[in-house]
Formats: sequence, structure tokens, C-alpha cells
Amino acid sequence: MHYDLIIIGMGLSGLMAAKTAVEAGKKVLIIGKGLGCLTLFSNTIDVLGIPLLAGPETTRLRDGLSQWIYDHPEHPYGKVGVEKIEEALSSFNSLFPPPYTFQSRNETNSLIPTGVGTFRPTHLIPSTMMRGIALKEKKTLLIGFKGYKDFYSQRLADSFECRGATLSLPESPPTEITATALARWMEQPSFREFIGTEVKKQIRDEELIGFPAVLGVNDPMGVRKDLEKKIGASVFEIPILPPSIPGMRIFNRFKDRLIRRGVTFLIGHPVSKVTLNEKRCEGIEIAHPPVTTSYSADHYILATGRFMGGGLKADRERILEPIFNLPVSQPGSQEDWFGRSFFDKHPIHRMGILTDSSLHPIDERGKPILENVWVAGTILAGHDCMDEKSREGIEIATGYWSAKKAMEG
Amino acid sequence: MTKGGDGGFEIYFLSNQRAKNSFSELSLFLDKQRKTSLFKGSMKLQTEILIIGGGATGAGILRDLSLRGIPSLLIEKGDFLSGASGRNHGLFHSGGRYVVSDPEAARECIAENRILRKIAPHCIEETDGFFVSLPEDGPDFRDRFIQACKDANVPAHLLSRDEALFLEPGLTPTLLSAVKVPDGAIDPFELVLSNAKDAETYGGKFLLHTGVTSLLMEENKVKTVLAKDLLHGEEYQIEASHIINATGAWADELLKLAGLRVAMALSKGSMLITNQRLTHRVINRCRPPSDGDIIVPNHTVSILGTTSVRLEDAENFEVTPQEVSRLIRETSRMIPAIEEARFIRAYAGIRPLFQSEEKGDDRAISRGFVLIDHGKKDGIKNLITITGGKLVTYRLMAEKTSDLLCQKMGIHAPCSTHLKPLSGAGKFSGLKDRLKTLGKSETLCDCELVRKEEVEEVLKEGKLKNLQDILHRTRLAKGTCQGGFCVYRLLGILNESGLAEGDSNNILKGFLEERWKGIRPILWGSAVKEEELMEGIYKGIFNL
Repeated sequence: MHYDLIIIGMGLSGLMAAKTAVEAGKKVLIIGKGLGCLTLFSNTIDVLGIPLLAGPETTRLRDGLSQWIYDHPEHPYGKVGVEKIEEALSSFNSLFPPPYTFQSRNETNSLIPTGVGTFRPTHLIPSTMMRGIALKEKKTLLIGFKGYKDFYSQRLADSFECRGATLSLPESPPTEITATALARWMEQPSFREFIGTEVKKQIRDEELIGFPAVLGVNDPMGVRKDLEKKIGASVFEIPILPPSIPGMRIFNRFKDRLIRRGVTFLIGHPVSKVTLNEKRCEGIEIAHPPVTTSYSADHYILATGRFMGGGLKADRERILEPIFNLPVSQPGSQEDWFGRSFFDKHPIHRMGILTDSSLHPIDERGKPILENVWVAGTILAGHDCMDEKSREGIEIATGYWSAKKAMEG
Repeated sequence: MTKGGDGGFEIYFLSNQRAKNSFSELSLFLDKQRKTSLFKGSMKLQTEILIIGGGATGAGILRDLSLRGIPSLLIEKGDFLSGASGRNHGLFHSGGRYVVSDPEAARECIAENRILRKIAPHCIEETDGFFVSLPEDGPDFRDRFIQACKDANVPAHLLSRDEALFLEPGLTPTLLSAVKVPDGAIDPFELVLSNAKDAETYGGKFLLHTGVTSLLMEENKVKTVLAKDLLHGEEYQIEASHIINATGAWADELLKLAGLRVAMALSKGSMLITNQRLTHRVINRCRPPSDGDIIVPNHTVSILGTTSVRLEDAENFEVTPQEVSRLIRETSRMIPAIEEARFIRAYAGIRPLFQSEEKGDDRAISRGFVLIDHGKKDGIKNLITITGGKLVTYRLMAEKTSDLLCQKMGIHAPCSTHLKPLSGAGKFSGLKDRLKTLGKSETLCDCELVRKEEVEEVLKEGKLKNLQDILHRTRLAKGTCQGGFCVYRLLGILNESGLAEGDSNNILKGFLEERWKGIRPILWGSAVKEEELMEGIYKGIFNL
């Protein structure tokens, strides 16, 4: 089967690339060995959470980004540029029309409360989390659930200096409750009826009610609206340990839209082989035993993520890119990969695939290696997305930009 | 019995005058269980016997003396098992390892091995052990080994290559032969805590997180021991008729406070933990003891050991990359799959080896124990030092120490620890028991199937002072993610039950740094994925 573009990797960068290409009328295949890391880490869209932008009263993101790019020309953002980053973010936003939107406040970062009692600077915030920004100013009640072990409302209430309550659920199954189960139940009116009544019993004079981010997968704003009506106070969500229900919402939205627009999704099998000829990729193979299927395209985008996604692998000596065997910038021997403290900036995080400004992979001398392959997402070298709080921003910007470049090439 | 102040003393005496900022980050105060101080300044405690050190030896002595009806108090500067007792490979020695180099130690091991099977079955997994000969080891050492086993009364059976491979298919097919001995796996935590618990029911007392600050001498004896609660700052003046130094690697350091010395060699041994159990049996290399000779199954994992590196300092040590490479290279010669195995942690312990004079290789120093009556040796008549030895001989060490004490005190009270099973001996705590309880309660730790109820039971027993105390008493943080998820949950539960005070996130950060020490040396392969997940959670989502 032949395509205009094959994207390897189904995280946010791969999905953004697929969106960009299909909107330009291209025939696209996207391949994921799993569901990508969206459902692990992502809840809001972090673009750049460095101290300069760590809010609440700060520089506009645009100015912060320009400064960052000026100071870090080799950062993936440096290759895309402020203008295209903004274009990419609005393209992402176009997938989320009201009621469930992603917005920033005054084009700056905001601090949202997290499930461990801290605040995180972030940029685009889903509607269900927006009101959490006001947690410090308004009287707030946090709600946890008995049997749900990943959210402790009392502990959080201590950190945030507000009140916490733990609800016992009706006919609680004997086993523990997961975030996905809670999110499913939240979509049932009878469950919301129960929650509404129970929260009402707990509420004193609070104006804001905080829940773990489990307010349904498909219609979170509907769930929120109904809860607010029943409780009589504003409701917001707090990001928690994986799995991320807000991440699932993003994944599902992309998948639904892209399939409708004709993108082919292939989930559950890794790329087993690539065929290279000179400086071009001529095809890939996917092994789903006992069958092996071949696919080819004019262009390819590698968006396989870092170690968790399988885009990079580490043996005891070095770090490899297993699909195209692209050169990976190496931060020295294994002893040098990680710092002495967990909270150090570890050198390993900055390494990855080196590219030119159009996201073509390059070799040690800066020469492009494969002329019809582009690289996008966190696998790129030159960033530390966890430390910079730039994960989703890098994925969206480089996913978008790689597809634009691929269509030019 | 032990008395102090007006109305006796409360052993878990807790102060409200603690200086908040001086706590280690891991300190977690279980405040509701505490009593308010009635005393100002330091508190006087009197006891017949004071045992210093809460390793297997100290806890064993506390139980032995308590069973003999002799009032005893144990103090320990950390938690139980903070030294070598909690940092070894958990090999339940048959004595095989020492039959050639140290037959005396081997004889002690096999005798104690037989006793512990009876008195502490809940701490022991009777796996058996193989001594595997590889082509380069040749048959000569093996033949000496078998003869030495015979001489030391260690049952040994020679198995052919095919027999060994049939029983342990993970062994390298190139092996020459294997000798089967009654090695096993021992859970040192269960063992020491059972001893302490048992001692308590017979009147023994202990104070944890309490370190000796000085020994006040008077003529030919130690008059008063000054000690300090290292978490709360409470000070104690302890008077005891006799004092036992059971501080293992710290024996010399303690004696210095009395102006005495004991020649100790501190030998670091490093170990690696795999994320799964590689073999059913203990696998030893059949050669003169060297690095990377031992693979011990332990619950759901295997522990690879060890190295031997001379240290000057008992406090600051870590596993080096060279040790990691050496352990993998050597153990994978016996079990090739180790080359590709996933590791979850590296750790090191210090063997307290007694030295009569300077020698070359630390392995040449006896693994036997030494009991010093400082009355005879140095003229300090109420001080005894017990050190050296093996985990498996802890009971014998306790017996000999207690015998010496009785003799010095002029009382006749025979030992009964070789006959009386430890409390908890009927208890089962294996994986099968855990699986049975699945689904009946929240599972806090998904790696090791630790239930919330189990943790709540440990909390109910009280007396715990910090997070590590809880982790020592459960299997929390011992599995594949090394506490990445369950410690977050544990802190939530402690807070919700009103047991923790202070900034939970500082405790969490302190834990993540402790965890890091064990993980950093083994970060490659799948372990890097796990690490990325943890950083994604704590640095990313939670912005800690």
C-alpha cells in the first residue's frame, strides 16, 4: 500500500503531523506500537515553564519563547520559530471547539494545582481545569473517593490550605477503583446524582469544588455542568498520576477526527524493518505474526518518542535509535547519563536525534542522512522537556512543522 | 525491672520540644501515637543490661536475655537492621561457602542452619543451593569442596551437568557439574523484627533512632551511657550493670568513646537486584570465594552478589560502576540470562570483619565472630563487644554473649533460643498468600501486592518514627518501580489517618533521593523507561 506520508509513532507529535498533512489533502498512514504517551503524562498543554514564565504575573509566552530561542538556538523550538509554534498551537486548538477548549489566560502561563499539592506553570488549560487557578483566592473543597488510591484530598487540602473530603461510593466493588472506572461512572447520570448529593452534604461555604481529573472521557463539560447544577458550586479537575483521563480525551479527539478525514490508523504493532536505498526510505514492514505487511510512502516522519515510547533504547554502553538506526547525540558513558541527585538536570535527557532546521536527521558532520525522512517530538535532541515543562509544546510544534516540511519536500 | 524517674519510664517516650528544622527529610512523625514529655533535660533510665546496636546480633541478644529473665534495654541509632543485617544478599548459608577457607565458620553455619529451620521457618525459604563448576574452575576445587563439606558435616551431593540443568534450566549449558547443599533464602527483616517482638513479650525493651553520644567512665567501668533520640532530640542518661557493644561495623567507633580499640576491617559488599526470580535455588560458584559468586532467590526477585572492597569509613559508601560491571560479568557466566536481565536496584553493605592483625584479602579474614570481655582485655569490667560473624550465626552469637554475661553476673540461667520457636513462626508470607488476598482490599503496591490493610496493621502496632521504618516492615517500595507509585499513596494514607505531620512533599522528595541512590547505578535498558516515567510524573505532572 502506498501513501503520501507514513508517520511512525502515535503520540501527540505524530497525531499533529497526521492532522497537518491530512488537512493539506495528503493520504496518510499513522502507525503506533501502542497508544503513545498522551495517556500517561498529558493533561494541559505545557509550552515552556521556565522560571521566567512560571507565573502567575509574568511575561507573555511569545516574549518568553523569543528569548528562549535566542538563548537556545539548537532547541527544537529554535528550528520551528515563534511564529510557527503559534500557528501549530492554534491548529491544535482548532480540534477543540467549545465547550471543551484549551485556553491560556492573557497569553501567559498560569499556575494550576496538581495532585501532589504543588502548582505547575502551564500554558493551554482545558476548560475543566481552568477554575483551579483560583484555588488560592477562593474557598475550596477537594473531593476524593474511598477505594481510589491515587488521590488524597486531605493531604492536598493541607498543602493548599483548604478543606478535603473523601466520599464512599455506592455498591463499591470489592476491588479497588481506577481512574478509568471513575471516569466511566461519571458519565452516568445516576452516579452524578449520587456524587452531587454527597458533595452537598460535605460542603460548607466553599465556592470551588476540586475533583481528580476523572470527570468523564467523552463529555467532560457535560459532566461538569451537571455536577455544578447538583452541587451549586463551581467544579474543576486536578491532574493526577497516570493514566491521564485528559490525555485520553486528546487522543480520542485526534483519532476520531483524523479517521473521519481519511487517515489510516494502525495500532498495536511495531515497525519491524525499514528499506533504505541510498538516501531514501523506500518502505517499511510491520510484523503481525504470522503475516508481514509492507507499506511505502513518498515521505516518512519518525515520531516515536523517547525511552518510554520506544523511540530510543539504551544498552549498557550507548543510546540507539532502533528503527532507522539514526545517529544519537551521546552524553558520554553510562556513568555520565544521570546526575547524582534525582532532581538534577540529567545529561541523558538532552540527547536525541540531531536534525537540520527543517527537521531532517543529520549525521555528525551536519549532513542530511535521509532526504525523505523527518523527525518530530521528544526524540529530538537539545531539550529537557520535563525540566523545561515543554513536553506538549515541543510535540505540537515539531509535529506540525515536520509535516509542513515534508509536504514541501 | 527497668526503672527510671518516678513512675518508671515509657519506652516510646516522645518529646514535644523537638527542633523542627533539624530533622532529616525522611522523618515522618506519627504524632498521635506520641506522649508529651513530662521531663525537662535528659531522662534517667536504669537497666540491668544495655545492648547497643539493633542488628540481628543485638536483637538476638535482647531475645535471649529476655527469655532468661534478665532485664535488658536495646538502643539503636537507626531502625532495626540499619547496618549489615539489612544489607546483605539474604543467603541462608549451609556453610558451603566457607568449608574450604574457614571450616570453623562452616561448622557454625550448618549447626545454626539446622536450628533456624526449626525456630524461624517463617523467615526461611528452603530452596537448597548449587555450587556450580564451570570449565575454567576445573574439578580439583570441587573435589576438595566435597571432602571439606564431609569434614564439616555439611550435606553435599554431586550432580551431573544434565541433572543440574534439569533442575535449573537457566544455568549455562557449559557447566561441568553442580554440588547440592542445604543453602536457602532468609528474610533478615522478618527475622530481626520477630526477635524484637518476641523479646518484647518477655519484657525486653528497645529504643530506636537513639544513638550513643558518650560513655562516662568511672574507675574500671562504664558508669553512664549518654544517648540521644536522633529524631526528636530527647537525651537519655542510661545506667546499666553491663553493656554490650553489638554495633557491628561501628564496634570500634563505640569503643573509642571508652578510650578502647578493636581492630576491625570494614569490607564493602555490593549487590544487584533483578526484577524477577532467575532460579529456584541459590546458585554459588564452586571456586575459592571471589566476586560475583552468588545468586540468591528472594521472594519475587534474585539478588546477585557480591564484591569485597576495603573501606575506611562505615557511613559513606556507594556501589561503583566497576562493581556493577563485575557482578554482571561474573554471575552471567553461571546464568547467561543475567546479561539481558532488568535490574531494579543496586545496594551495598559493610561486613564487620574482626582482624587480629593486618592481612591481605578480606576474604581471608575469618567470617567467624569474636566475643571480647573488656574486663579481661582492658580492665573495663562491665563492657562486652560481640562482632564479626554471619547473619545465619546471629543466634549462636547471642547465646555465647548471654552465657558470658551470666557467668560475669554469677547467675545460672540457661539459653533456650535454640528450642523456642520465634513468635510468628506459624505465619506464612509468601507470594501465594498474597495472591489469595488480591481483590479483597486496595493494593497500595502493585509490584509486590502490598495491601492497604497490611500497612494499616503495621501502623497500628505503632512505634514507627519515619517513612523508612514503615518500608522496612512491609514490602512497599521493594518491587519493580521501587516505590515510585506506592510511597505517594502511603503518604496520602498517613496524612488521611492523621499520622503524619509536616510537609509531605519534603518527605516524598527525600524518598525519591534515597531511591535514586540505588537506581542510578543500574540505569540502562528497561530501567531507563521506568525512570522516564518517574521523572515524567514527579518533575513533569507534579512539578516537585
